[in-house]
Amino acid sequence: MNSVSFSYDAKNTGRALNRVSFFVNRGERVAVLGHNGSGKSTLSKIMGGILDPSEGSCEINGTDIKEMDFRELRGTVGLVFQDPENQIVAAIVEDDIAFAPENQGLSPEEIQLRVDMALAASDLVKKRDAPVSALSGGEKQRTALAGVLAANVQCLILDEPTAMLDPQARLNIEKVLRLLHSEGMTIIQVTHQIESESFSDIQRVIVLQKGSVKWEGSVNDFWDNAEDLGFSIPDSLKVKRYCGSRGINLPDDLAKFTPPVSEPYSKNDNGDVKFRIDGLSFRYNEKSFALNDINAEINSGEWLSIIGRTGSGKSTLVQHLNALYRIQEGKILFDGKDLPQKGKELKTLRQKVGLVFQNPEDQLFSATVKDELAFAPKNAGFKGNELDEAVIYGLECTGLPRDFLARNPIALSGGERRLVAIASVLSARPDCIVLDEPLAGLDASYQRTILGMLSRLRDKGHTVITVTHDLNMALNYSDRILILRESKAVKEGRPHEVLSVLTETLPAESLPDVLRISAEIKNINPDFPLLYDYEEFIKCISQI
Amino acid sequence: MYITNMNLGQYVPTGSFIHRLDPRAKLFSLFLIISAIFPSKTSLGVLLWSIVLAALVTASKVSWRSVLNSVKPIFFLALFTFFFNAAFNGIHIAVFTSLRLVLLIMFAVMLPLTTAPLELADGINELLRPLERFHFPADECAMMIGMALRFIPLLMEETDKIIRAQLSRGATLDQGNIFRRAKAFFPVLIPLLIIIFRRADEIATAMEARGYDGGKGRTRRKPLHWGIYDTLAVIVSAAWVGMFLALRL
Repeated sequence: MNSVSFSYDAKNTGRALNRVSFFVNRGERVAVLGHNGSGKSTLSKIMGGILDPSEGSCEINGTDIKEMDFRELRGTVGLVFQDPENQIVAAIVEDDIAFAPENQGLSPEEIQLRVDMALAASDLVKKRDAPVSALSGGEKQRTALAGVLAANVQCLILDEPTAMLDPQARLNIEKVLRLLHSEGMTIIQVTHQIESESFSDIQRVIVLQKGSVKWEGSVNDFWDNAEDLGFSIPDSLKVKRYCGSRGINLPDDLAKFTPPVSEPYSKNDNGDVKFRIDGLSFRYNEKSFALNDINAEINSGEWLSIIGRTGSGKSTLVQHLNALYRIQEGKILFDGKDLPQKGKELKTLRQKVGLVFQNPEDQLFSATVKDELAFAPKNAGFKGNELDEAVIYGLECTGLPRDFLARNPIALSGGERRLVAIASVLSARPDCIVLDEPLAGLDASYQRTILGMLSRLRDKGHTVITVTHDLNMALNYSDRILILRESKAVKEGRPHEVLSVLTETLPAESLPDVLRISAEIKNINPDFPLLYDYEEFIKCISQI
Repeated sequence: MYITNMNLGQYVPTGSFIHRLDPRAKLFSLFLIISAIFPSKTSLGVLLWSIVLAALVTASKVSWRSVLNSVKPIFFLALFTFFFNAAFNGIHIAVFTSLRLVLLIMFAVMLPLTTAPLELADGINELLRPLERFHFPADECAMMIGMALRFIPLLMEETDKIIRAQLSRGATLDQGNIFRRAKAFFPVLIPLLIIIFRRADEIATAMEARGYDGGKGRTRRKPLHWGIYDTLAVIVSAAWVGMFLALRL
């Protein structure tokens, strides 16, 4: 990268990238870090030769990308993007992986060799004949990765490849990347945060801010500066540092340590029951249950997190709460009454129970943010002053400034769009708000904004329900947790009550850092408690 | 699901011998069959075509559910055809016309149900190849059809999600007169269009990143291979259709 600049408009104002220069060594694994809107996606497209820089040049192995033959370039660098659905062109795994070598004009035998190689590298050999529609999100992303590997590239550029995946799927991708890296692949990961599973393998970090390189250095140096650069340090590293400074050797030094018993922190104990779910079952077809005999209670004024892997039934469950699905079997009581399924009562239900879907693109349709925010309250029958107030209320809940009302929702950044989507549900003044993966794909500052907003809503007495595979958020922010697994509710309780279920059912690598470390200690010292909060953990081990 | 059950001919891999036939043979045969169903006017004819269809579905090992689901979206069209004809041409013609329409569609969906989208695209590509002499973009055209087939189910899913998101915000999509309903559909239509454009853009980028540069110089992992069974399939279809036309069944 040689002083690369890029601007999306011809006048060269408002540059997405401004004089970006850096290099990546052959066989190196580098993370390009940047917040939403820092220009990192533009950068990855330039490195991948999809966009030409407005100024400067991008060289691979000493040759300017612009001068390279199209086929040669495509056989050198591969690009993997965030959404696998937009990268897979064929209906069958093997057919899709063959796409790149077919474009390179290879013979059928050579193509088959490449496909076999890519299948093996991405751990997809068993899925070679599977229809793409039957794959999980993680398998789809590995198919997309294999589709790029089949071009026989030496360098991989990954643009937020795991942003849409659950922790276990992320782990599988990480395994593939590690192996590729160890075999000499150059890997450039463009992301808004370094996931804890990958940072031990990444060698160098380049921080991009507002289109310029803000910082560059080794991973260890990065962690020393991370907080100044606006990135949070993973708990595992904080624990390591703390133990290093105190000379504690984990987990062995805690083998015989009996920690003081502390009362688990609890709040919001006496809410009325908002939803009572009784033996709820649902199936899309005769063959398999999407929900299998779910029993649960959701209290008024609490924050409940529903966690589970993709496909565990989380989304189907919450879409029952505002009657988007007709109840097939079982019962749901809302404020003590049967959930209405039609008519005026249904309208009231949907006003009282607001549901925010994961993808803001699924709902934003108005020309201005104001109209978007007015849609739900208008449907609920708000008029005149009441309607204006509702719009302002929705906006203020999310902390967006007033001048946003005149903006076009489609032209906003990803994080802003998410906030507008949430505001457009809150504007109907619901008692209860349900959010599907509210933090997915957002950088740390937007995550803090949304977490702060949800805590405030809960404190004001609203019932907040979040559907997530983000265990950190579920444990640290919500009052109670409901765990779904293969369409069944396996556990419901306060965060400290579900910890043992989590450690027993999930692979250690996908647990939040503090929980994983405390589980490791508990393995050799049964007296040690399972903990998830960093401060609490430090308080506990500081007494050794 | 609000609409996702309408499975519009999404490929169902079963590995049957129908699946393994050359897509060109299937395209030829389908063309022949359609051209014979249209003029078919007797009850015996309709009965025989139904038997042929049943045999085809059984041989393909595709479930009847998939076939019927694919026909669901045109159910109203068939109903409309029925009432329109019943009003103007009498009940007899009404029954025949709508039955023929349903048969026709069912035969037609057997093609995408038993042929992978890219394979079908390859077949169409080969059949269009002679037109390249007149600067017809055969490769691009075929790739477009293949892509459309691949993304229809995805867009159905997306539409379903959008409908749910808007219903959640209190939208009413199924009340009032036709104008009101049309207006009520904007909140679904606009996000869908935006999503389609965004997807199209991202897919084009991903395809370019994987070295797609039009059809020039592209080879195939499984090149189309015209075998003895393909010739046989076309001959059988042609003979059957010929008999039908000759006997005016």
